Amino acid sequence: MNRIIQVARMQLINKWTFIGIPLLILGASFVFTMAIFWLVRQAGGQSEVTYSGGAQAPMWYFLALGIQSLTLTFPFSQAMSVSRRSFYLGTLALFGLCALLLSSFYYLMGLVEQATNGWWLNGRFFALEWVAENNWFIQIMFYFALMVLLFMIGFWVSTIYLRWRTTGLLVFFIGLGVLVLGTVFYMTLGERWGQFWSWAVTWTAGGVVLGAGAVAVLMAGASYLTLRRASA
Amino acid sequence: MTNAPAIQATHLTKKFKDVRALDDVNLSLEAGRIYGLLGRNGAGKTTLMSILTGQGFATDGSVKIFGHDPFEHDPTLARTCFIRESQKYPDDFKPWQAFKAASLFYENWDEDLAQDLVAAFKLPLKRRIKKLSRGQLSAVGVIIGLASRAEITFFDEPYLGLDAVARQIFYDRLVEDFAEFPRTIVLSSHLIDEVANLLEHVVVIDGGKIIVDEEADALRGAAVTVTGNAEAVTQFIGGYPVIHRDALGSLASISIRATLSEAERQQARQLGLELTPVSLQQLVVRSAMGAMGEGTSKQNVEAMK
Repeated sequence: MNRIIQVARMQLINKWTFIGIPLLILGASFVFTMAIFWLVRQAGGQSEVTYSGGAQAPMWYFLALGIQSLTLTFPFSQAMSVSRRSFYLGTLALFGLCALLLSSFYYLMGLVEQATNGWWLNGRFFALEWVAENNWFIQIMFYFALMVLLFMIGFWVSTIYLRWRTTGLLVFFIGLGVLVLGTVFYMTLGERWGQFWSWAVTWTAGGVVLGAGAVAVLMAGASYLTLRRASA
Repeated sequence: MTNAPAIQATHLTKKFKDVRALDDVNLSLEAGRIYGLLGRNGAGKTTLMSILTGQGFATDGSVKIFGHDPFEHDPTLARTCFIRESQKYPDDFKPWQAFKAASLFYENWDEDLAQDLVAAFKLPLKRRIKKLSRGQLSAVGVIIGLASRAEITFFDEPYLGLDAVARQIFYDRLVEDFAEFPRTIVLSSHLIDEVANLLEHVVVIDGGKIIVDEEADALRGAAVTVTGNAEAVTQFIGGYPVIHRDALGSLASISIRATLSEAERQQARQLGLELTPVSLQQLVVRSAMGAMGEGTSKQNVEAMK
């Protein structure tokens, strides 16, 4: 247990990586969005609610963070005589905690946003209606599941690289390409796109939480099994 | 299991696609001594050390560190420290951050010693590790290795890029600190003469096989070069095993594996022969070549220099 906490502390030695950069991205994205909302209002643009997807900006950084925290820190953790298991658990626990804090922050900011009528600009940055209409738990879990999913994608792809190097990545991405293309063929030739979209819009935020959560857990398992036999 | 050797490898084999990086390696190293792991580049030194520290995987055979398999076993791993010659550090890390991390993981970490070494090596603490010179990068590894005071510390070609002064600092500090805090040190090197005096026990690996596993003292007196008139030399060496032969006209210089008695030395003087001890490096080079056959010897000598 001690070792796992030490790994988390090691990941935090450079505070920018896990804390500073995500907050900076979020802050910048928020300021830019507000500036644009303000400008639109000044120009006498639409007066109804304006939505922004800016809140997802830090999430894409987590994809890169998943790659970074593995490829850069894993070889070093080996030199620190840390087992792969401790490295894995410590890194995931730390990210999980950061993601949970950030998700809660999103939720709280969403409340402020609604209370201030969209930052007095009638804009929506945090409290997107489709998410914000749910209870607090689903709202927080919605952001949390997406953050963890993106992190796990980056993390797993990196473990594949660590273990099988370029060959592994080639096989993985060619396989993925074949799968995606096959699906597109199947949908297009069978004229199933209409069905797909009418199914896709029935998804609720709660459904997304369950779906993304399940995929993230699968990836976490796959990452561990891949990492267990990887060498730096 | 208190009497278990610090390091024990049994039938350790590592196969990469077409090469045997390690070929049935058997080793048993007791605690509290300084070992030299010597051999050419590509002989299998790094592969062996990474398997001993649970970082690499053996194809076959087993490893015991203080009687326990180190793989994925934190309590055992925590007793070892192995900084690779090509160690990677997080991209944005500066040396002070690497040392801070090491102080988290190594419970015997000595911050004063680390600071002392930083000054001795003139290491810039606040420059990114990525931007350090090769010598400074080696210094980071050396400092972690020494200041961690792990029960078993592996140094993998620790001197790369270090100048002669810095290397001497490393050797001196190693001996000083070892005297105060005895532990098991495995020093991998191909600069054999430079480290020869530090070593208590020598393991030579070549082509993945252990070809020498002996006390350094025994090795130092284990071979002698006899130089003089070719006939007299041949007569003198008798049945001793020859490890190297040089001839120039009627002069011959033959290295034999032998510990000569006083009587024999007397006899050599009477025959007008000159006796010179064979250095550890020469002995290792010759042994490595012997193990491979004489065919490629010239390249080997060059490589070991």
